[in-house]
Amino acid sequence: MSDEPALELVDVDGGYGEVQVLEDLSLQLEAGEIVCLIGPNGAGKSTALKTAFGLLTPWTGSVRYHGEDISGTAPEEVVRKGIGYVPQTDNVFGSLSLDENLRMGGVAREDDRLETVVEELYDRFGILREKRGAKARELSGGQRQVLAFARALVTEPDVLLIDEPSAGLAPNTADEVFADVEAVNAMDTAILMVEQNATKGLEISDRGYVLDQGTVAYEGDADGLLDDPEVSELYLGG
Amino acid sequence: MAVLGLLADGLVFSSIIVLGSIGLSLVYGIADFANFAHGDTMTVGAYAALVTFGGLSGVGGPSLLGLPAAFFLALAAGFVVAALVAVVTEKLVYEPLDIGAIGLLITSIGVAFIYRGLVRIVFTAESTRYDVQSIRPIEALVPYGVRVTYHDVAIVITSVVLVGSLHALLQYTDLGRKMRAMADNPELARISGIRTDRIRLVTWTVGGGLAGVGGTFLGLFNRLSPRMGFNLLLLVFAAVILGGIGSVYGAMLGGLLIGVVHESMPLLSGLGGLLPLVPDTLGIPVGIEYAEAVAFVIMVAVLLVRPTGIAGEGT
Ligand SMILES: Nc1ncnc2c1ncn2[C@@H]1O[C@H](COP(=O)(O)OP(=O)(O)OP(=O)(O)O)[C@@H](O)[C@H]1O
Ligand SMILES: [Mg+2]
Repeated sequence: MSDEPALELVDVDGGYGEVQVLEDLSLQLEAGEIVCLIGPNGAGKSTALKTAFGLLTPWTGSVRYHGEDISGTAPEEVVRKGIGYVPQTDNVFGSLSLDENLRMGGVAREDDRLETVVEELYDRFGILREKRGAKARELSGGQRQVLAFARALVTEPDVLLIDEPSAGLAPNTADEVFADVEAVNAMDTAILMVEQNATKGLEISDRGYVLDQGTVAYEGDADGLLDDPEVSELYLGG
Repeated sequence: MAVLGLLADGLVFSSIIVLGSIGLSLVYGIADFANFAHGDTMTVGAYAALVTFGGLSGVGGPSLLGLPAAFFLALAAGFVVAALVAVVTEKLVYEPLDIGAIGLLITSIGVAFIYRGLVRIVFTAESTRYDVQSIRPIEALVPYGVRVTYHDVAIVITSVVLVGSLHALLQYTDLGRKMRAMADNPELARISGIRTDRIRLVTWTVGGGLAGVGGTFLGLFNRLSPRMGFNLLLLVFAAVILGGIGSVYGAMLGGLLIGVVHESMPLLSGLGGLLPLVPDTLGIPVGIEYAEAVAFVIMVAVLLVRPTGIAGEGT
């Protein structure tokens, strides 16, 4: 593989319709890393992930996957390249069963390993096997987050974008989700994660970016950011 | 036993409404817009069947349930042409427009006028019928007050087969799962890698085709006229809303209910005769011409209790 980053946003301006959200945003995710994106509400964290995944097209600048320019590629094709995405909200098919959710996650697979991979995911996330016939909307918040996560893993992506995996979860459930994130990362999946619980998010990350008003305000090693008095004061709640 | 007879009539009429409701609901599910051209799509199917049937008049072959084999070919043509018209309209009109659900709704009213106008230009505003022999009600059922013909039986059986096939498609095939996934959450469908453009066209095909079959049966049940589908549209909407808009299974249930209620109107005026302890002369004298209004009253009553419809899923 090249020494290009697994995923990179280069000088991206972007947003919704006429509304600009991202301004000259540049981020890198190296193969095998966990990178955490933090910042205040409305900073543009979700918008950055949507742009990286092709749900939004950058106005200027580019999105690169292992050096290949994928700006403007539709999400249904981006997923075929090897990127997975777990949205912040509405991230499961509520009226479909768990099993069907996972099968939908595998639509982009072009080989015949779907069954094997789904079985592996059931082994890893026992709760999903237990409830495989249930409709996704019947799950608790934590279980739903696990399913959303597993759905994005069926393609075995080498880059995974996750938007606020711990939102709305009780602290111990959130810890389990973070442990899952680390476990998936250990299997050689680079992870770009947005997390509102900035301290927890940075603790499991290699590096971090602080996004403010659509652009990078601080960046660095996760430990460095956690120790930085300014970052701590402004973004980690003192 | 007038009740049985009315229920039987209701079942036949319901079958037609159900065939119309499914497409309306499917399209609402994926495109979030109320397609007012759907009734006229039924009309298009009916007239396509008329032309095909006319063209096949020389063809012999066995007849089934009082209908010549050519009629079933005409029915298939009704499906194909209505599906094609729906798909082409989606491609040429709705898809290129980026104007939101209300804009599309209004556009579809215009599309409805175009379909209807074209049908009128070619076939005039006069009503007409399929050139099939009228047949008498099935003798064995008449003593029970059920006056249905083999044609009615053909309508019900064909509809049950089509609805059953759709159910199998939706539940047990990959394509069907993708259709449901897309109706559930279009953005997540794309994120998962579903090529939603294709699914959208399949949905229009199925919805338009079933409307074409429904229209053909409506022409067999009553007569054909350029307004036939539009006149039915409000009932079809009532069925879809009653069932829970966007839910295919709700549309089936809603269609069944609305059809039966619509055909059961005479029961209200004869209520006293049906209920014990109530004088036979007592009744709610509602003329058959108010059948649609009553269907809507029932719809509103159900929605008051269950605002999302029978099979609706909350938000
Ligand atoms: N679909 C949309 N259309 C228009 N503007 C939007 C849309 N979604 C988000 N925005 C706006 O873009 C800005 C950035 O939103 P974004 O969701 O990226 O923020 P965020 O950093 O993820 O915030 P949060 O922590 O609340 O999730 C906000 O001002 C928001 O109001
Ligand atoms: Mg967000």
